[in-house]
Amino acid sequence: MSSETIVVIGGGPGGLRAAQGIAEIGRRAVLIEQREFLGGTPVAENYSGLTPRGEPAQPQIRQMIEQVTGDPLIEVRLGTELVGVSGEPGAFTLRLRGAQTLGAPAAGGQEAEAPAAGDNQTVECGAIIIATGFGHFDPGRSTQMYGYYEFPDVITQPDLEAMLSEHRVLRPSNGQPPERICFVQCVGSRDRQIGNEYCSKVCCGVASKEAIELRELLPDSKVLIFYIDMRMYGYWENEIYWPAQEQHHVQYVKGLITEVLPKGDRLLVRGEDTTMGRPMEVLMDLVVLSVGMEPSPGTRELARLLGVKQNKYGFIEAAGAPLDPVSTDREGIFACGSALGPADLEDTVSSAAGAAMRAVGYLRSRAVAAVN
Amino acid sequence: MTLTAAREAETDAHYKAPDVAGYADVSYEVKLRLFDQVKGDMRFGDYLYGCYECGICVAACPSAKFYDFSPRRIAQAAAREDVDLFYQQMQEDIWECSQCFSCLRCPRGNNPGGIITIMREVAVRNGLASAREALVGYSRIIYKIMSTGTQVSPDMLRPDAFPDWGPETGDVADNLDLWRRALPPETMHTTSSGWSVADRTLVELYVIWLETGALDMIAEVDRGLHSILQELMEERLEEEGIEL
Amino acid sequence: MTTPIGAPVTLRRAKAAQEPVADRRSLEDPRAELLELERQGELIVQKIDREAVTVSTKYGREKRIQKAHLWHHKSCGQCGHIPGYSTSIFWVMRKLGYDYHDPHDQTSCTAWNYYASATSNSAAQAAVAVRNFAAAYESGYFPLIHCGTSYGHYKEVREELIRHPELRAQVRGIMAKLGKPLVLPEEIVHYSEWFHALRDEIAAKQVRDVSKIVVTVHPACHYYKIVSGDAIYDPDIYGGQRTAVVTGLAEALGAEVRNYSTWFDCCGFGFRHILVQRDFTRSFATLRKIEVMKEEANPDVVLTHDTGCVTTLDKSQFAARAHGRNVGLAVLSEAQFAALAMGAHPFRVCQLHWHSADYRPLLEKMGIDWEQAWAEFQSDLRRLESGEKRYLDWDDADGTQDKGAPRVSPAGHEHGN
Repeated sequence: MSSETIVVIGGGPGGLRAAQGIAEIGRRAVLIEQREFLGGTPVAENYSGLTPRGEPAQPQIRQMIEQVTGDPLIEVRLGTELVGVSGEPGAFTLRLRGAQTLGAPAAGGQEAEAPAAGDNQTVECGAIIIATGFGHFDPGRSTQMYGYYEFPDVITQPDLEAMLSEHRVLRPSNGQPPERICFVQCVGSRDRQIGNEYCSKVCCGVASKEAIELRELLPDSKVLIFYIDMRMYGYWENEIYWPAQEQHHVQYVKGLITEVLPKGDRLLVRGEDTTMGRPMEVLMDLVVLSVGMEPSPGTRELARLLGVKQNKYGFIEAAGAPLDPVSTDREGIFACGSALGPADLEDTVSSAAGAAMRAVGYLRSRAVAAVN
Repeated sequence: MTLTAAREAETDAHYKAPDVAGYADVSYEVKLRLFDQVKGDMRFGDYLYGCYECGICVAACPSAKFYDFSPRRIAQAAAREDVDLFYQQMQEDIWECSQCFSCLRCPRGNNPGGIITIMREVAVRNGLASAREALVGYSRIIYKIMSTGTQVSPDMLRPDAFPDWGPETGDVADNLDLWRRALPPETMHTTSSGWSVADRTLVELYVIWLETGALDMIAEVDRGLHSILQELMEERLEEEGIEL
Repeated sequence: MTTPIGAPVTLRRAKAAQEPVADRRSLEDPRAELLELERQGELIVQKIDREAVTVSTKYGREKRIQKAHLWHHKSCGQCGHIPGYSTSIFWVMRKLGYDYHDPHDQTSCTAWNYYASATSNSAAQAAVAVRNFAAAYESGYFPLIHCGTSYGHYKEVREELIRHPELRAQVRGIMAKLGKPLVLPEEIVHYSEWFHALRDEIAAKQVRDVSKIVVTVHPACHYYKIVSGDAIYDPDIYGGQRTAVVTGLAEALGAEVRNYSTWFDCCGFGFRHILVQRDFTRSFATLRKIEVMKEEANPDVVLTHDTGCVTTLDKSQFAARAHGRNVGLAVLSEAQFAALAMGAHPFRVCQLHWHSADYRPLLEKMGIDWEQAWAEFQSDLRRLESGEKRYLDWDDADGTQDKGAPRVSPAGHEHGN
């Protein structure tokens, strides 16, 4: 039996925006999130400031969450995950395993029965939106020698976000504030040996934003960014790149670091200063690896369960790209955000709203066809 | 420098005057032919993709620390098919490479050291002056391999050949025969070869070098050595009754 | 998430927390490629057919190391200039009771010549490799490669043969003229991988205490940088971030392994440079390796696992000392170090008199009376000079006349036991 409900899988910025979008058009949404909280990666990884302007991330995400949990048309199920699907486009039956239900009564105005935790639950829906997002590249797998699992002062961008959100950046090795900090770009991206040949899109902007935050937090610090290319699309050029160099004196060096080894109580990083055309070795207190985006375990699992095509990197394939960025190769199943590939927050909320519109449109067209 | 050459040098700053560089400048066609030989090698497609100038290869390279040498510039010249620059590199740069393959860290999957290996082979095969120059003093190794089947032998450890290695080299040379007999492994009681190689095995090596054209490459480096080896090898092949 | 003032923020660190992800490299399996080619009739794969130890390589592929019945593919530089290196490899294998074959029908891999002079080509190099592998295959013993460059080069050759059918055809034709098949072993194994796989058995036979010995490890470029997936990595050693061989053995023996900031640097051998441009080699070895190790780690010995590296690091120090550089470190292969730890004679087995950098302080720290040992070796030499014996043998190496130990005659057949 066909259903008018749309299920959104994943409660990060993409899923939240998609659910909100569905409700805005007046349809019911069920939002499924496997963690015990909403907000996705920005919350789980303690995002400090948003890129590009650095406004605090957590209040903004909280606002998105409140809009969803306060909406009578949206039912949220935390701690819940998909375990199976049956039926057909327009009339899917999803089998879930999980716990709580927040919010909306069930379809038809009846009282919802709170399902017992751990029981298999089912949800009927007409369309599905995949919003399961990304995971960060594990720097231990890098082709280069960064020693992330050997040296405590080698950290990743998410590790730094956690420190920045506390407004306290200290060297993990000795608890002292770092004087010399560098970022290494493209860790796990743009690499044929790993197989992640793509660019992860956001790391240049995020590194520069973090560099600005560091310069503000630690005015005596010297901050360098080692890069292959500086990907500063559109307004990022004037909103991040120029201010980083001109106001905050972040040093950009074109030449990627290949090795990090301890020397004394600091870290020696090695690269080529390609502008000057010579090998370069400099001492650092803190090395931040700009790790790339990969499909999250949830994205991979969902692709398998729903039988949706993945591209060669494991992200959901946008079957109608570039002009249709949210359809998968399965009718009635859409995707948004970084489940499709590297995406920043603007990309994510744009594609999420687009997916919401498409999903609702899909159900309407089926309803019209059914009548005729 | 002739007037004509001076004028040519003035008009195109990319071309070095013929007698300044220390090697002959050649026509574009010759340079292109050399480049095409490198590009046509079976391995070239495995060794060169694109290059985004990250400099990781240079950072890892030991030769880059001591010479004005850059695996990145090698990969770039090849990728751009800049035949003039490529020729210059073939004459000036390729022998600085340590062949350590640290540059295999390249995220694009390039192998600058491997490109250089091919460039060296092409340089040797074409008898480039720089190749001959780079290999002066090296012929004795080739002779050692072909006459014994090993590259290194104890009788090479002479103080006049390695004065900077310390007095122990002299001790070895003074006691060579005795010290070699004082080695437990049965195959190592040799002085003019690393270990004792069977005659038949040596002949098999000859066949390989003849059949693959490796012997011909030696002719370009050291003609005298080539004749000696050719005679030596043909005799041995006859003795072993091998027909080619 | 709040943190007490002054304490560093605890960061997500555990590698175990990361989901294992198969990336392109973890799908590369040269062994599987060879077996597939064998199924197609393109070549023969010599199988590991006896007890083997399983080790892990960089991207998770498991590699098997056969323990016994090995064909020793010797190293020119070791046999020629550092004979204690080869001798120690044989000696340790004998002590652990594993039979082997030391062949006469082995040529040099010719890779040193190739990397130095390029007076060769990919077909010649592949044919030389295959000819050696065929000799091993015909003997029934599984090849074990002594030199790091031979090993790295053969890995490169294997890749070329897998990728290029025209190369296979050419090599097959040449082998046919020699009456040999086109054959490759199921795994290309370096001796240091065997030492790593058997490090606990080696440590079990240890008789000398090395707990006060400080070691720096120099890993050979050609071991782990060529075909980088096929090298041993272990999550318990360097967090799986650097290759485990040599370090694993040194730690199993109880030595203290110390870090230094040029760990990944080449030694500076250069192949060509060590012969005809040696200012580069000795400058690089001194400035980038020996001085850095001395200043930062102050070790008693540098351990490495390749012929060129031992040669470079050992021989570069004399001239450097004349220039007042901060040098003076004993340089040994880990095979010689393991042999010493197992009670080997420093001169009869480790043949340290062929080394240049001073090894005597190391021997003293290990409790070895080198003067006494040298006197013993001198008396061996007198016996050779007098004509009492033609050569020293394995019984002499241990100073015993124990005829019960397994011996291998020059013809390569196992006697005894």
